[in-house]
Amino acid sequence: MAKDLLVVEDLQVWFPVRRGFFESLTSKEQRYVKAVDGVSFNIKEREIFCLVGESGCGKTTTGKAILRLVDPTGGNVRYYGTGLNAAMMKDAIERAVSKKLISKAEAEQALSTGAIDVRKLPKDKMKMLRQKMQMIFQDPYESLNPKQSIYDIVAEPLVVNNLGANEADRENRVAKALDDAGLRPPKHFMWRYPHEVSGGQRQRVGIAGALVLEPAFLVADEPVSMLDVSIRSEILKLMLDLRDKKGLTYLFITHDLSVAYVFSDRIGIMYLGKIVELGPTEEVIKKPMHPYTKALISVVPKPDPRMKTEKIILKGERPDPAHIPPGCRFHPRCPYAMEKCKVEEPDAIYVSQEHWVSCWLAAGEGKTE
Amino acid sequence: MALLEVDGLKTYFKTQEGTLKAVDGISFNLDKGQAMGLAGESGCGKTTAALSIMKLLPANGFIAGGSINFMKQDMSKLTGDKLRAIRWRDISIIFQGAMNALNPVKRVGDQIVEPILLHEKVDEDVAVKRVKELFELVGINPNRIREYPHEFSGGMRQRVMIAMALACRPKLVICDEPTTALDVMIQAQILQLLKNLQQELELAMIIISHDLSVLAETCDLLSIMYAGKIVERSSAVEVFANPQHPYTKGLIAAFPNIKGERKMPASIAGNPPNLINPPVGCRFADRCYAVQDLCRQEEPPLIEVLPGHFAACHFVKPRGV
Repeated sequence: MAKDLLVVEDLQVWFPVRRGFFESLTSKEQRYVKAVDGVSFNIKEREIFCLVGESGCGKTTTGKAILRLVDPTGGNVRYYGTGLNAAMMKDAIERAVSKKLISKAEAEQALSTGAIDVRKLPKDKMKMLRQKMQMIFQDPYESLNPKQSIYDIVAEPLVVNNLGANEADRENRVAKALDDAGLRPPKHFMWRYPHEVSGGQRQRVGIAGALVLEPAFLVADEPVSMLDVSIRSEILKLMLDLRDKKGLTYLFITHDLSVAYVFSDRIGIMYLGKIVELGPTEEVIKKPMHPYTKALISVVPKPDPRMKTEKIILKGERPDPAHIPPGCRFHPRCPYAMEKCKVEEPDAIYVSQEHWVSCWLAAGEGKTE
Repeated sequence: MALLEVDGLKTYFKTQEGTLKAVDGISFNLDKGQAMGLAGESGCGKTTAALSIMKLLPANGFIAGGSINFMKQDMSKLTGDKLRAIRWRDISIIFQGAMNALNPVKRVGDQIVEPILLHEKVDEDVAVKRVKELFELVGINPNRIREYPHEFSGGMRQRVMIAMALACRPKLVICDEPTTALDVMIQAQILQLLKNLQQELELAMIIISHDLSVLAETCDLLSIMYAGKIVERSSAVEVFANPQHPYTKGLIAAFPNIKGERKMPASIAGNPPNLINPPVGCRFADRCYAVQDLCRQEEPPLIEVLPGHFAACHFVKPRGV
C-alpha cells in the first residue's frame, strides 16, 4: 500500500470577526468565522484527493492552509515527502523547539518518522518546503500578470527562491516546465504575453509556473472551472500525465462533482468547514451515504435530456460560517433531520474500510424513507 | 408566423485589424412558449447573436445583413423610440454575470419599478404592487423590496434579475449564461425556476450557455454555434440522441457523465479560427476528425438531415425528408 504523503489532522482556520468599539466593551467573547473547523484526511503518494463542496464551505481555505498561504488556527499538517534534507530539517526542528512551537517529544517523533509539521515550521524553512508544494490557481485570466511575458511569469519562482545558476540555466528550466505543461515548442511561447494565447494555454502557463520548481505535491484549486468544456479534459489529462511521469500527488479542489468523479481517486465532501463524507470516488458517487452528498449528486446537470432524474433541491442557501448551527451543521437543510441532529454532532462512521460518513442515519438512528 | 424569425443574421465588428465576423449568417425561428438553447465555446458569437436581437451592440458592432422579425417588426431596422418601446416591454434579457449587473446604490425594488413606469401608464403604487408579485413569483420574500443588492446572496441577486426581466410581462426573455457564476445547488434552483416560469407564463426563451448539460435540462430546441455559424439545429432530445455534426458529437463527448461510466471525457483539440479572416471551407475543418479535402474548399450548407433536424457538414446526407 502506498505511503502517506500528507496527513491533515483536525485542521482549523478561524478568522476573528472584527468588533466595533461599543461591542468590544459590552461583550467579552470574540466571535470567529470558522472557515475550516476540524478537517482531517490523508493523501497518499501519487494520489489525487478531491475536496468537493459549495462555495464558502472552506475547501480553498483548507488548500491554502496546507501550504500556509493562510495560517491555520489549530490542528496538524504533516508532510512526509522529501523537500528538506536531513540537516535542514534538524535545524528547523531545533529552532521550533527553542521557540517553544513544539515540545521535545514532538521534535523526537518528527525526527524519527521524517514527517514535517507544516504548521510549526519557521517562515524561511516553509519557503523552502513550498518549493515542493505548489498551487495551481483557478482563474487563468486573472492569475497571470498581463505585463509580464510568459518567461517572466514562469521564471518568477526561480528568482524568488534564488534558484538557477545563471540566466541560461533558468531559461532551460523554464523551457522544460513549459514543455512539461504541453506548451510546445517552448521557444514559441516563452516570449509571448498572456493575452496572446488562448484560455487553455493560459492555464498551462499557470501549471508551468507551478512545475518549474519541480514540486512533489500540488494543490489545484478549480483548475478547469473557468475553461470551456471542450478543453477541460485536455488540462485534466495533462495533470494525469504529470502524475504518471513525475509521480506528483494532487489535492484537487472543485465544486463540480462530475469532474471529481472522472479525475480523482478519493473524494471528501465538505460542508460548512467540515468533511461530512469521505471515501473512494466510485463508492462515494455510486453509493452516497450522507444526505448532502446525495443532494449534490442529484443536482449535477446530466448532458442528456432523456435522462430525467429525481432532483433533491435543498431549500435556501448555505448557512453562514460565522453562525454554525449546533448539532449536525447540515440539519437546517437536511430532509431527514431528527431531534438528535439538532443537539449532537455525529462522529465519523465507517461504512466500508475506507469510506466514512458523519451522519446519525448511518449510525442506525431513524430511517431514510 | 413564429414569434421570432431570425433570417441570415450577420453581425460584424469593426476592429483595428479588420472586420470581425462574429455572427455570420444564422437563421432560426422561435414560437411562443418555446425555449431554445444556443450553445458553443466562448467567442463563437452566441452572445453577439442575442445582443443583436435586442440591438444592444457596442459602438463598433453593426448588423451587416439579414433580418430579425419579432412580432412582425424587423428589429434590425428599428431605431430610437420605436426600438425603446419594444425593449424590455416585449423582449428582456438576463445578463451574464447578473450578480454584478444590479446598481449597488439603488434599492432593488426601485430598480424594477423603473422599467414598469417607463413602459406603462401606471402609478407607482401599482408598480410596487407588481414588483411584490414578481418577487413572490421568483421566490423572494416581498418584504425585501426596500433592500440593497449587497444584502442579497448571489443566488438571490440572480432571482432579482429574473424578476426584473419579467417586470413588463415580456414575450421573449434572453438568458445569457444564467447560472455560470453560481454553485451547483443554486444553479439547480434557478434552472427549475426558469423552467417553471417559462411554462406558467408561456414565455419564449433563448438560453445561452457553453454548458450543454444546462441546456439539456431546460430547452426544447437546441442550436449549436461554431465560429459565427449554426452548425446543427433541432429539438434538444434529437440533438443529444442523434448528433450529426462532428462538432456536436465532440461537445457531447466532452462532458463527464456522473451517471455513466467513470472515464475521462474526450476533448476537441485546437482552437476556433480567427473570425477576421475565416477559412474558406468548413470553419471546423482544422479541428475535425473526419476532415477531407472538400472541407477546406467548400463551405457546407445547413441541410435538413431528418425532419426538423439541420446540420452543416459535407458528410451528413439527408434521410427521410
